[in-house]
Amino acid sequence: MSEIPVVRDVLDDNAAGAAANRARFAAAGVYVMNLMSGPGAGKTTLMERTAVACRGRLRIAVVAGDIETRRDADRIARHGVPVEQVNTGGACHMDARMLEGALSRIDLASLDALIIENVGNLVCPAEFDLGEHDKVMILSVTEGADKPAKYPLMFSEARLMVLGKTDLLPYVDFDPHAAIADARTLNPDLEVIRLSSRTGEGIEDWISWIERRRASRVGGTKD
Amino acid sequence: MHEVSIAQRIVEVIRDTADRNGGGRVASAVLRVGELSCVDPETLAFAFDLSCRGDPTLDGCSLRIERVPARLRCRACAWEGGGDPFAGCPACGARGFDVLDGRELRLQTIDLEQA
Repeated sequence: MSEIPVVRDVLDDNAAGAAANRARFAAAGVYVMNLMSGPGAGKTTLMERTAVACRGRLRIAVVAGDIETRRDADRIARHGVPVEQVNTGGACHMDARMLEGALSRIDLASLDALIIENVGNLVCPAEFDLGEHDKVMILSVTEGADKPAKYPLMFSEARLMVLGKTDLLPYVDFDPHAAIADARTLNPDLEVIRLSSRTGEGIEDWISWIERRRASRVGGTKD
Repeated sequence: MHEVSIAQRIVEVIRDTADRNGGGRVASAVLRVGELSCVDPETLAFAFDLSCRGDPTLDGCSLRIERVPARLRCRACAWEGGGDPFAGCPACGARGFDVLDGRELRLQTIDLEQA
């Protein structure tokens, strides 16, 4: 029996994949966002609204991650936006290699922004770098204001928190000020947009935010 | 349940290391898991056993998991020590630490039974 030293990071493969994706995004001049939330927070509905609101402003595509099924991708594709589905085959998050496969089927150079709709989960996706420019999360008001304390990594990694389903605020016991304050104790620079995909509140702020981040990370939009 | 995909990745790294060292059966492996890594050691051990089953190199391989405690450095006052990275600094009260140790997921050694 011989002891062999290894000392190798088990996630080094993901780090290498993320670096490769990052180089690809830079070469194509595309801004990339990793959108995360718990299941049912409204990621896909927001993608549908975004597809409509971006017309004539931003050329976007979506990579929809799901454990199984093409339902999310089909819903978004109806709005005329290129969508690639990644089925994670049981895994609770997307990793850099899974994304790599989808990227080869997208004409990245023709896009202003690519949005990766991660698997619905507030824990695991925050651990896996995909090579994106920004991590964005949705916290919907139906989920409860205790989420920042329960899932600190997600809240501390995000640049923007979309406070979703704000049209339901009158019906739920959710204090948005407390939730935002809690999230900012973890992440003082966290930006917040209040949004309702149903009423359209905040959609303009959301699209402008994407435009601003694109301009600062990549440059102006393509003609 | 990302422990399943992590376990599969550990199996790949072990197999690759064994191959590069002349092959043979791997009797055990040591994995260092940081306490901030969001990996549940028990679930990981279970997923690892399942991933090894039926594999000629790894069947029955025992995984020893060493927990690595968190070590933080305050970004404001450079205090160093263990604790909760999301709490305030015990020295100056500021929030925001660099994580020096505690996020690792690292295969340290394997024990190879050479043929």
